[in-house]
Amino acid sequence: MPSRVPGGLPKNADAVIIGGGVIGTSIAYHLAKKDFGRIILLEKSYLASGSTGRCGAGVRQQWGTKLNCLLAIDSIKAFQRMDEELDYKRGIEFKQGGYLLLAYTQREMDQFIENVRLQKELGVPVSFLTPSEAKQIVPILNTDEMYCATFCPTDGHANPFYVTDAYAAAGERLGVEIHTFTKACEILTESEKVKGVKTNRGTVFTDVVINAAGPYSAVVSKMVDLDIPFYPERHQALVTEAVEPVLGPMVMSFSRRFYCQQTPHGSFIMGMGDPKEKPGFCISSTWQFLIETAEAVTKALPPVGELSVVRQWAGSYDMTPDAHPILGSTPCEGFYLACGFSGHGFMLAPVTGKLISEIICDEELSIDIHGLDLGRFERGELVIEPSVV
Amino acid sequence: MSSLLTTEICIVGAGPAGLRAAIAARDMGACVMLVDSEENLGGQLVKQTHKFFGSRGQFAGMRGIDIAKLLSDEVTKDSSVTVMSDSQVVGFYPDGTLAIEKDDCLKLLKPQRVICATGASERMLPFPNNDLPGVYGAGAAQTLMNLYGVRPGNRVLMIGAGNIGLIVSYQLIQAGIDVAAIVEAMPYVGGYDVHARKIQRAGIPILTSHTIKAVHGRQVVEGATVSAVDAQFCIIPDSDRYFQVDTVCLAVGLTPLTELLWQADCKMGYIPELGGYTPFRNENYETTRPGVFVAGDLAGIEEASSAMIEGEIAGLCAAKSLGYEIDDFEDRINRAKTELRVLRQGPTGEKIRQGIASLMQLREECEGA
Ligand SMILES: Cc1cc2nc3c(=O)[nH]c(=O)nc-3n(C[C@H](O)[C@H](O)[C@H](O)COP(=O)(O)OP(=O)(O)OC[C@H]3O[C@@H](n4cnc5c(N)ncnc54)[C@H](O)[C@@H]3O)c2cc1C
Ligand SMILES: Cc1cc2nc3c(=O)[nH]c(=O)nc-3n(C[C@H](O)[C@H](O)[C@H](O)COP(=O)(O)OP(=O)(O)OC[C@H]3O[C@@H](n4cnc5c(N)ncnc54)[C@H](O)[C@@H]3O)c2cc1C
Repeated sequence: MPSRVPGGLPKNADAVIIGGGVIGTSIAYHLAKKDFGRIILLEKSYLASGSTGRCGAGVRQQWGTKLNCLLAIDSIKAFQRMDEELDYKRGIEFKQGGYLLLAYTQREMDQFIENVRLQKELGVPVSFLTPSEAKQIVPILNTDEMYCATFCPTDGHANPFYVTDAYAAAGERLGVEIHTFTKACEILTESEKVKGVKTNRGTVFTDVVINAAGPYSAVVSKMVDLDIPFYPERHQALVTEAVEPVLGPMVMSFSRRFYCQQTPHGSFIMGMGDPKEKPGFCISSTWQFLIETAEAVTKALPPVGELSVVRQWAGSYDMTPDAHPILGSTPCEGFYLACGFSGHGFMLAPVTGKLISEIICDEELSIDIHGLDLGRFERGELVIEPSVV
Repeated sequence: MSSLLTTEICIVGAGPAGLRAAIAARDMGACVMLVDSEENLGGQLVKQTHKFFGSRGQFAGMRGIDIAKLLSDEVTKDSSVTVMSDSQVVGFYPDGTLAIEKDDCLKLLKPQRVICATGASERMLPFPNNDLPGVYGAGAAQTLMNLYGVRPGNRVLMIGAGNIGLIVSYQLIQAGIDVAAIVEAMPYVGGYDVHARKIQRAGIPILTSHTIKAVHGRQVVEGATVSAVDAQFCIIPDSDRYFQVDTVCLAVGLTPLTELLWQADCKMGYIPELGGYTPFRNENYETTRPGVFVAGDLAGIEEASSAMIEGEIAGLCAAKSLGYEIDDFEDRINRAKTELRVLRQGPTGEKIRQGIASLMQLREECEGA
């Protein structure tokens, strides 16, 4: 990835994006495509240094709410043509090996039946499988204790570093100025209107600020005195040595809280949610995670137990109370939110960039996301997503 | 799941520093576990067939392998020190737990104190084809020869004329391997005269103010291009020389093996004189993370003699911090500190003295900030 050495900050800009993860860079690119003028992206460290560079990078359409399904369907289409659209020679390593979701309880199976009905209605090519049918798709699967599975062959995963780089580079070709190692410290406002951003390297005046600060979204919102129902939560992952391809799809269980995929490189990336995890910014690794994940994953995929772990790490999930993102305008004029992706912001990045640019340019939205605004929490109109790890 | 092992003091690395730390902590009465990723105890010493320089108190004049034997015999003479060889410490978690890999299995150890004595790793140089088989660290070539009895190649180009480059070149010749030349970017030879003279007597050219520009070959190293450099270390045009060799050894310095300390969140400073990132520590060799001590090359690249003395200090102080006492504690500490001072005297110790001064100053600045 090019280093994007910090240059001088300009005095004025038409929009300032705070955050150089996959969301911020996607917004920058989509805004630039609409000729929005001078667009500045601020990143306090390097691009993809936040959750993006730490994520499992899975992309699925098998969701439990209509909104999440629609957003994901649109993003999958974007991932499919991304190399071409962004002219990304290296390729984003998009692999459509499908997602195989496993149910281990009656309740989970009931939920899956409902999810599949909804997904099919929306055109997702998903199928409901018996354990033995699931084993045909993943021969190394242990089906003990399994009730059923669902499978969608067009789900998959991509390389998060490359996707971020592809958006950044395409944005830069359209004039976006990316300033790494530049931290937004303060947002200047005047009678509840955005006026500029003060950074550690100078001040930029602007009427539009987009909060794409990932785990730090609440901190950035606080800069305009806005409280958002958002909290960061540590999630850990690990990667094994690389071997011949044996696992096509991403395998995932909500009740057992794990996911596991084999990357094009041959290594296995896996992770697990921890219900005891408390909100916070801590992203250090634990040995308990190593053991619990190894146990859960090798129970479902026994041959993976033969592999050596080469690395473990952690990052932050960007949580909201209903596991849906917060997208759009705020009571502070000119201050927009693109945060709270609740552990699936990577896959929603393409559609988020598109929608936020439409909102800022006051265009008609290509998907109706009015239900995802900040106001929903006050109105009590939460859209609870049942299917998350 | 593996059960959680416990001990009072875990020493990571059984080179001269770790071995001496184990002896000192054991002498104090502490319960010690010594862990090393290799099968043989002794660290770098197990492949040093030459007679060591250093202070008399620290076995100068003895061969490295013999020092290793002496120290490990002392450590293993009774069962007071638990030795875990062939065991690599792969993780240092925030709660103080060490993850150890042994026989492809994970073991967890929660010690009350940790002494890190993991030594150093060899530096690499960036040049085209530096990943071709046949490009080695000089230490790796030495391990192949002296530990495993394997010839690393038939004709070698050595990069670096510090002590390691000179000693390994001489040992290659002793093993019947051709050394085409020694290439050194500085305008002078960095290693001791005794070693340089042996090389010159063997008729091997030492090209000062030269660097390696590229390695050539399809599957393996077949040759290398060497160029002259100016005072700014820029390559002088048209000064290329081609050497037909099948092996290139890099002896371009060592850097402290700090991975575990980063994981333990020990604060560090970048000190070129000590080999790169070096842990901040106090005079008892305790790092900024209480209960974690360091010794040896990890605390700054130096030599075996100082590594042993630092190990003595760290071992004594770690045990003392657990409440252990011996009558001659003050004597031993003072003797060790005096020996270190003596070792670092004179022109050869200047770089180390400067490095340690910078480290201490940087630490104060960081603590002040
Ligand atoms: C272990 C793990 C696994 C995951 N798996 C998946 C998955 O399989 N699929 C999926 O879709 N999602 C997954 N996610 C979630 C996904 O990573 C995030 O939702 C997504 O990366 C969010 O992108 P972002 O750009 O909003 O955040 P980030 O990538 O965190 O970007 C925000 C950036 O803002 C910068 N920043 C913060 N404050 C400031 C400031 N004041 N000034 C300047 N810059 C600032 C940060 O440095 C950071 O780089 C996973 C997350 C984790 C941790
Ligand atoms: C060619 C050569 C010639 C030298 N000649 C002399 C000389 O003449 N006189 C002199 O005084 N010095 C000499 N030295 C230097 C001397 O060998 C070192 O300074 C000394 O060995 C440093 O001791 P140490 O205990 O700090 O580290 P090491 O000897 O490097 O020992 C470190 C040990 O830690 C183990 N280890 C590392 N990481 C882990 C881990 N994660 N888990 C478990 N174990 C781990 C390693 O396996 C190793 O056994 C020479 C060095 C070389 C390479």
